[in-house]
Amino acid sequence: MANLLDRAVESFKRVGEGLKTVFMHSFREPTTQEYPEKIQDLAPHFRGRLALAVNPDTGDHLCISCRQCERVCPDKCIEITAHKSPETNKLELIDFKIDHGLCMFCGLCTEVCPTTCIINTNDFEMADYSRESLIYDIKRLTLTQDESTYYFDKKELPRPKPKAAAKPAAAAGAAGAAAKSAAAGGDAAAKAAAAKAAAAKAAAAKAAAAKAAAAKTDDGETKAEPKAESKSEEKAAEPKADAEAAKKDVVEAKTEDITAEPKADAEAAKKDVVEAKTEDKAAEAPEKDAKKDVKEAKADEKDPE
Amino acid sequence: MEFVNVQELVSTGVAEALAFYFIAALAITLSIGVISDKNVIRAGFLLIGVFGGISGLFFLLQAQFIALAQVMIYAVGITLVVVIALMLTNPRLQNEEAEEEAIASSEPALLKFLDSIRNGFPGLVAWIAFVTVYMAIRSEHWEQSTQTIGEDNIAVIGRALTTDYSLPFEFASVLLLAALIGAIMLAKAEKVEDTDTPREGIESGSN
Amino acid sequence: MNAAEIYKLSRLAIFWLSVTFGAVWVACWGVGVFIPSLITGKMPFLLQVDNPSTTVVFIADLLRSLTPILSLLVFIPINAMFMVLFERRSLALFTVRMGPNRHGFDGLAQTAADAVKLLFKEDITPRGADAFMFTLAPIIFFAPSIFGALPLLAAVTNNHDLFKVANLPTGIFYILAAASIPVVALVMAGWASNNKYSLVGGLRSAAQAISYEIPLVLSLVTMCLLAGTLDVVEIVEQQKGGILNWNILGGGALSGYDKLAPYWLNLVDTSFDTSAMFGQFYPVPWLSSIMAFVLVICTVLLFGLYLTGACAEINRIPFDLPEAESELVSGYNTEYSGIKFAIFFLAEFTNLFVVSSIATVMFLGGGDNPIPKWILDRLPLEPISNALGSLLSPLIKDLMFIDPATFWAAFWVIVKVYSIVFFAILVRGTLPRFRIDQLMDFGWKRLIPLALILFVVVVFARTWVVCHG
Ligand code: SF4
Ligand code: SF4
Repeated sequence: MANLLDRAVESFKRVGEGLKTVFMHSFREPTTQEYPEKIQDLAPHFRGRLALAVNPDTGDHLCISCRQCERVCPDKCIEITAHKSPETNKLELIDFKIDHGLCMFCGLCTEVCPTTCIINTNDFEMADYSRESLIYDIKRLTLTQDESTYYFDKKELPRPKPKAAAKPAAAAGAAGAAAKSAAAGGDAAAKAAAAKAAAAKAAAAKAAAAKAAAAKTDDGETKAEPKAESKSEEKAAEPKADAEAAKKDVVEAKTEDITAEPKADAEAAKKDVVEAKTEDKAAEAPEKDAKKDVKEAKADEKDPE
Repeated sequence: MEFVNVQELVSTGVAEALAFYFIAALAITLSIGVISDKNVIRAGFLLIGVFGGISGLFFLLQAQFIALAQVMIYAVGITLVVVIALMLTNPRLQNEEAEEEAIASSEPALLKFLDSIRNGFPGLVAWIAFVTVYMAIRSEHWEQSTQTIGEDNIAVIGRALTTDYSLPFEFASVLLLAALIGAIMLAKAEKVEDTDTPREGIESGSN
Repeated sequence: MNAAEIYKLSRLAIFWLSVTFGAVWVACWGVGVFIPSLITGKMPFLLQVDNPSTTVVFIADLLRSLTPILSLLVFIPINAMFMVLFERRSLALFTVRMGPNRHGFDGLAQTAADAVKLLFKEDITPRGADAFMFTLAPIIFFAPSIFGALPLLAAVTNNHDLFKVANLPTGIFYILAAASIPVVALVMAGWASNNKYSLVGGLRSAAQAISYEIPLVLSLVTMCLLAGTLDVVEIVEQQKGGILNWNILGGGALSGYDKLAPYWLNLVDTSFDTSAMFGQFYPVPWLSSIMAFVLVICTVLLFGLYLTGACAEINRIPFDLPEAESELVSGYNTEYSGIKFAIFFLAEFTNLFVVSSIATVMFLGGGDNPIPKWILDRLPLEPISNALGSLLSPLIKDLMFIDPATFWAAFWVIVKVYSIVFFAILVRGTLPRFRIDQLMDFGWKRLIPLALILFVVVVFARTWVVCHG
């Protein structure tokens, strides 16, 4: 009986203590912040939206298309399109896509990147209206020089060495023309994909697209122009252009089915494309080749099925 | 008829009679529902309604205490426990019922006849009981009391229970106590040492 | 110091309380006083009729007798909105957060928006559910909180003329009987939903309510024993005159001290023979004083017992097993949506208010001022009240808009009831949920024996002390 009383008194004391503690909490300042007005200063290594940095000093794109990130990603949400330039015999980046809808922000890709190109930014406000718009292409991924500088400083990353080889000046004219059209295309894509993208980002995307186009002109000056114009009826006749077009198809075939092996080498993909073509109507094929917009390509691919 | 006051309206016979017929009709309908509803649990809920109606009748008789006790003990307490017991023990499924019916329809004629007698038996008993009670009530000559109902009828009940009727009251309480003890004895689990120890441990952890 | 948030909470409380009770006050006055006197031609400043027809008088009378129900119908939804917001903001305070502060003026309209949203949601009846019972359950759950609270109205408004009709000689028993009905609705909802979680929630609530109703009722029965009546108005009447008369302090065991305190403190003439009067209240020299002390302890414990039982009865944390989110999704109301869910929600908060009002009426003196009367008499309040009275006399006398006694009673009731509500929220912020076996152990092995012991002790102790009853 006495034991019971003791325990009762004890438990009353404890409950009273608890009530007092909780009541005293009401005199503390709230630890939460009102989010849209005040945004927490995030830690430098906060794992937010992924982005591709450029060299803070020179503005060169840092990605060397090594596909390390693609390979390590547990979710297989990175997809890199690159081809080997016949002249320099180096890999050149054509497109880089990250599906942020799949990404779990584990940061493994940033760990393995040899050039610290792919980084986690501090941006976490990525809400969007569709799943498709969560797939960021290279234009939306690439940071401006200023942004890159900011993140390199903040994360205290070692500055990358500038690229040794300068761009060949011979192709300047063609590159200029290509750059214009590509910029136009890039602009349209940016508008369609993300209206909220900042102007600086759009500019960066333009620059990146121009660079990519310029790189392409290196191997085929004459073919680059018609392709960039996005309408090429004589493409079927030209074998070299066909090769280029087939490569583009690879991109389309891959994006059409993300679960497909991203590592599938170009040969197999080409074969696939050929098969797909034979199934398609012959007349539609060349037009499709030229289309740059992923979504449209997808819709077209679905039709024959 | 003109009423100047709402209290008057309530206390005149017309409103009371109307209320009586309404409540009586409700209670009778609900009790028919209780015996005709195939679903036992729903019948249980309807029974709660029946008790509610009866408590309404007590209210009309100015017996507030009994009316409230009716609600609290019969409608909510006892019937609810019965309903819960039904829920936990007798989930008579629809397909089971259908199976039984199928078996019944394929039986030979004699068995069917016996079955119908068996099924009709409770109804027969109920009818006999009803007729008996009805006759008993009708044959009694009820006197209409002229005594006014005291304001404080709770005190009257209390006094009656503790003076004139204290013996039946005590008997009832002894019966209930016996039932309580019996229930505890039935429900008491076999003492198993092992299952008790961890709980003791948790409880004594607060010391 | 967190002055900003505390200030916001108090502002919210004051705003919503004035909205709630202002609306109730205006509605009651309009229907109970204004329209009847208007149509019977008794309204000052407006048209006068000498001999109204009996039909008109009857209508006026009908309106007057419907006022109690109307006041509850106005009060319940607004009050529930306030309490939800109050609870959320207070919990935010206790957990060092901010709480809803976006909608309206610093979150004041949050629950109004929630209510509108709930009402426009689709009302779904799950397949396989017993549709009739499914619909009936929320109604049965909600209805007792309307008609069960009726006798309390007279008690909390100082027995105002308009609410007198709602009073019953069996007041507290009626309230308890009404409070026991919602359990049926919970079991019904659980069973009719055709959902295992709901069923388990309903069964749990039945088991819990049946076990905790016993200590709850026993504590109130003990208080009625001290008061000698079941009539809530009378119980409130007995406790008038300051905190020492309240039932929580011995159920009148200290009222002798209350009466004699001014003589001992030399506030009135000291020639008065206090010992005779003392002997009147405490007949046996030493034993009576000790027993008064015992009674005080008992009633305080009974108050705690009542609060615990009430908490379990209305399924609040730490007794919210019927709707334990972590185990049962949402218990008996898992399948409910739209307006039916809103009704459940409404009834839950109304029940919280009702049990707090019962505690106020039974233990805390109803609408009584906590300051003892002999102190109040010393204070120079007379001129102030006279000035106010003459200033507001058109409102008080002519329009009968304000009844000062009712006003102060309502004011103190509001303060006391919402203090208890605040305490319930504090408990919710502090204590974790019971496990079902702990719950049953606590109820049957601790609370019921304690209630019985207290009952017996009070029965014996009060034979030596003069209490209210
Ligand atoms: S953060 Fe993880 S999941 Fe996201 S892209 Fe990089 S490796 Fe894949
Ligand atoms: S690991 Fe870095 S350099 Fe390699 S492909 Fe990925 S982003 Fe480009």
